[in-house]
Amino acid sequence: MLYYLAVGRTIVAMLSGMMTTKNKSLLAVLLVSLTGSAWAQLGRQPSVTMASVPLTTTPRATETQVPLDFRVGADFHINSNTPKSEFLIPTTLSIDVPTDIVLGRIAYPPGQDLKFPFSPDETLNVYSGDFTIKVAVHPLHSVVPGKYVMHGTLRYQACDNAQCFPPKTLPVSFEVKVVKEPPAPRHNPAQSPHAHN
Amino acid sequence: MSTPEVPAPNSGNPGLSNSGLSSPPPAPGGRNPLALVVAAVIIAGMLYFGFHAARRTGANGTTSTAKSSVAPDFTLESLDGKSVRLSDLRGKAVLLNFWATWCGPCKIEMPWFVELQNQYGPQGLQIIGVAMDESGKDDIAKFAKEMGVNYPVLLGKEAVGEAYGGVPALPETFFISRDGKIIDRIIGLKGREEIEDSIKKALETQPVTSQVEATPAPPVQAQK
Repeated sequence: MLYYLAVGRTIVAMLSGMMTTKNKSLLAVLLVSLTGSAWAQLGRQPSVTMASVPLTTTPRATETQVPLDFRVGADFHINSNTPKSEFLIPTTLSIDVPTDIVLGRIAYPPGQDLKFPFSPDETLNVYSGDFTIKVAVHPLHSVVPGKYVMHGTLRYQACDNAQCFPPKTLPVSFEVKVVKEPPAPRHNPAQSPHAHN
Repeated sequence: MSTPEVPAPNSGNPGLSNSGLSSPPPAPGGRNPLALVVAAVIIAGMLYFGFHAARRTGANGTTSTAKSSVAPDFTLESLDGKSVRLSDLRGKAVLLNFWATWCGPCKIEMPWFVELQNQYGPQGLQIIGVAMDESGKDDIAKFAKEMGVNYPVLLGKEAVGEAYGGVPALPETFFISRDGKIIDRIIGLKGREEIEDSIKKALETQPVTSQVEATPAPPVQAQK
């Protein structure tokens, strides 16, 4: 109760133009703690985020792998791409590519086999913390050199130790710079033996 | 043939903003920073109290705010194709369990529910499972069969979940008294004993005798 009285007094003092340096410090501390508490309440929702992807340069007619780094929020896990039960929802990445850029294999990392309080007798294959999915892109010879943005979604279903959350999708995008393929090695025409002296 | 896409200045990965990299200086005569701080405090306080009130739990992990409110009525289809209306179960203690086939913790509870239905069914307990799956009826039926479920499993609708607070995570279980009121609620996986205690409380309640009181609320329009 004293805590909230202090908040009220500080706000009143501030609004009445009597805010001292001490009050400002107190306000800062209270703001941080209040926001932290609110955030802790909100934080029970699972989150999966994607790190910024550096621009990948790829020559035409060449397949290049683009690593996409994801992070699962603390205390949560999501199913791997190959969960052990048909009823579990696998993590899947889908990417839309521009015309004449072919999407190659999407390489998912192996999950971790972990036991949870709700699955004491069986392990689940999951991702937690950081994981990387590699996407292969293959610009065809017909692509005009330049930068292209790939868009897609990561579909996942998260749980913590006591509850599970409905499947969600995370928008995903990354940029690829397509350059001309390196010149083919020069093919020397057959020379006449008479050319040599 | 593709042509390059020219990204917008802030294009890139959604959710990863570069707003923190640079920000324009405040315009002369702009907002008072102190007013912004006050607003931030008020918003943070509202968030804190709002979430505290919404998700406040007692010592046993049940939500006190849900108690004594009339359980929203609904009609849903069961796995065997019958329509089940919640208010038709007045007079019984109802355990209403929201679950899904992809929910590991839900799987732990189901054998408990099977045992508890056997144990307390003769005293007037009716367990109802509401599957909140996007998958089809066949998958749900297969799962329920594998788990040996001996109580009705209904095909959930989003509107019903919304009526029960949104059911943001599973499992979520409501305990409904014989007169149709929510007397307890358990979010997430808890112990079997806690579930059993709440069942006993629901069984101890009395059914309504007055015709006026027995009139159920209009059913939820269960359209997904």
